[in-house]
Amino acid sequence: MTFSVLLQSIISGMLVGGVYALIGIGLTIIFGVMRVINFAHGDIMMVGMYLTFFLFTLLGIDPFVSVLITMPLMFLFGALMQKVFINRVLSALPQNQILLTIGLGLIMSNSAMLAFTSDYKILTTSYSSSSYSLGGISISQPLLISFLITCAITVGLYWFLMRTDTGQAIRATAQDREAAQLMGINVKWMSILSFGIGSAMAGTAGALIAPTYYIFPQVGSAFTLKAFVITVLGGMGSIIGATLGGIIIGLVESVSAVTISSEWKDVVVFAIFLLVLLIKPSGLMGKSRL
Amino acid sequence: MIRKIAASALVMALALPGISQAARVKIGFVNSITGPEAPIGENLTNGVTLALEDLKKKGIEVDLIKEDDTGKPEKSLAAFEKLATRDNVAGVVGPYTSACSSAVASQADKYKVPLLIPAAAKEEITRKGYKYVFRLNAPADVYSSVLMDAVQTIDKPKTIAFIYESTDFGTSTVKTAKEYAKKLGIQEVADEKYQKGAPDFRSTLTKIKSKNPDLVFMVSYVVDAITLMRQSKEIGLSPKAFLGGGAGFTTAQFLAQKEISNMVMSSTQWTDDVSWPGAADFAKRYTAKFKKEPTYHAACAYEAMVIMAETASKNGGDRDKTRNGLKAGHWNGVMGEVKFADYAGFTNQNNHQMLVQQVQNGKYETVFPPKFATKKALYPFKWK
Repeated sequence: MTFSVLLQSIISGMLVGGVYALIGIGLTIIFGVMRVINFAHGDIMMVGMYLTFFLFTLLGIDPFVSVLITMPLMFLFGALMQKVFINRVLSALPQNQILLTIGLGLIMSNSAMLAFTSDYKILTTSYSSSSYSLGGISISQPLLISFLITCAITVGLYWFLMRTDTGQAIRATAQDREAAQLMGINVKWMSILSFGIGSAMAGTAGALIAPTYYIFPQVGSAFTLKAFVITVLGGMGSIIGATLGGIIIGLVESVSAVTISSEWKDVVVFAIFLLVLLIKPSGLMGKSRL
Repeated sequence: MIRKIAASALVMALALPGISQAARVKIGFVNSITGPEAPIGENLTNGVTLALEDLKKKGIEVDLIKEDDTGKPEKSLAAFEKLATRDNVAGVVGPYTSACSSAVASQADKYKVPLLIPAAAKEEITRKGYKYVFRLNAPADVYSSVLMDAVQTIDKPKTIAFIYESTDFGTSTVKTAKEYAKKLGIQEVADEKYQKGAPDFRSTLTKIKSKNPDLVFMVSYVVDAITLMRQSKEIGLSPKAFLGGGAGFTTAQFLAQKEISNMVMSSTQWTDDVSWPGAADFAKRYTAKFKKEPTYHAACAYEAMVIMAETASKNGGDRDKTRNGLKAGHWNGVMGEVKFADYAGFTNQNNHQMLVQQVQNGKYETVFPPKFATKKALYPFKWK
């Protein structure tokens, strides 16, 4: 195997990992603030994908531009879900919370099936199979754009959480819900906000994947699993951890596919995952803090 | 349309009051109606719907009991057991995928229910000597051999790379493809199995590109075919021919991706321009009714249902007699000549002639074998 093949796989692995990271970040924020494990995460992403698909086919809005519409809409969608459903079970047993999110996910995917049938929708843009060539290495155009958008969003989100008052309030809620409440923080509102952010991230990830992947009502489940691996690997609740986790998973998948075989890549991913958990059970960046 | 059919059925019924075999028959149909295989499953369902209409015209009323297996073998098995024990069907048509069919096939002999598999490829299904299992379509080995035969008539390729999904369909097709390639003296340079539905094949394809193969042979259901071809274009993989093993490479969705589907060759059980009796007419009626073009799965399911219902009705719905009727019968319809024979280790297998089609100017054209070809194959492959 030549060096250029390896380099190619590293680059595409990084780019794919960037989008994985975005899915993981959404999940990790929701867990960090509410301690709720969101099993509907992949299905929220599916909603984002359909939104992108219809914005493109009906209104002709480019998928990457439509992120500007998808993101706020998905934020509202998530906030509503939190306000109507999740807020009611915040003090319930964890298994009840899990049942609720699984149920919400099932309702979403089955409603999508009723409304749009189980047909695969394929979003074809003029750049769906275009690439830039750089000294023998080809860089996928849609993937590169998604990666850049992901970077911008991650940096923006990090700045928001670290530097703004609201961000600080969210972090305080994540650290100690009751203490935050005693300090005059409206923790219910913070929960709504963070679930909104989490689902906006998932929806955006859906929008970014749509031009190179395909869309169907059950598309979410595969990504829910991936999101879990990413967040647990990075440390539940850590944004940097989720970013790192996403890129690591992307890289490992891609590099092990060329060095070993594509059949074994998932084995390698899960072996590394278990190894990390054995050595550092809380995950790479895990302190259970945002 | 419906009224017309109803009217013609009524006329038939009045005109032929004395048809003794017009007894109602109960037939089961197991299919992937929902789930990831649903887009192909829809073709089977539609094919069966058309078959029922035509059977009605012939005076055969079918009580169809549809079961959805969502593409999962365990559900398929449960559906078959329900049909066999509770619904008391005369015979079962289906299921679609290889994994589901091989699970169900093992039970057909146990319940002594004739099972006619319309479109599943895995060879073992008809290799275990099951008495009650019949298969209409050609098994996996033909998927690859017909493609390589087609290429052999144009060129003498030296190397071949395989990329395929890690399912029953993928692995069994490629296993025989490898044996056939060896026989023809084509050297295998890559063997890459992938997890169905993966979003990223770029590194695997780059690896294949570095081996510079003459032929790239792919086996995928539905949309992975599109992802694979998109990413092949992205990284600039350009062999002399892309060969697709049926399924995902024969759908209207694949055809619609003009940028990447052009010149891709694929093996298929049926095309709409083949000279088998009623094939063109079937395609025309199907397109008019469902506003979509049929894939080979639709034709397979149509013919399977016609054969099963006719045989069952002739034998008064008796399972053993129906089984013997299938074994002894001979048909010539939209799928060409059909006869369930024992040969080369197969039992009750229709030795079906597969075809090769190629996307040319946004249309599937039959290019092999010469007897059925409508256009000459374009070779070598070039990206549009």
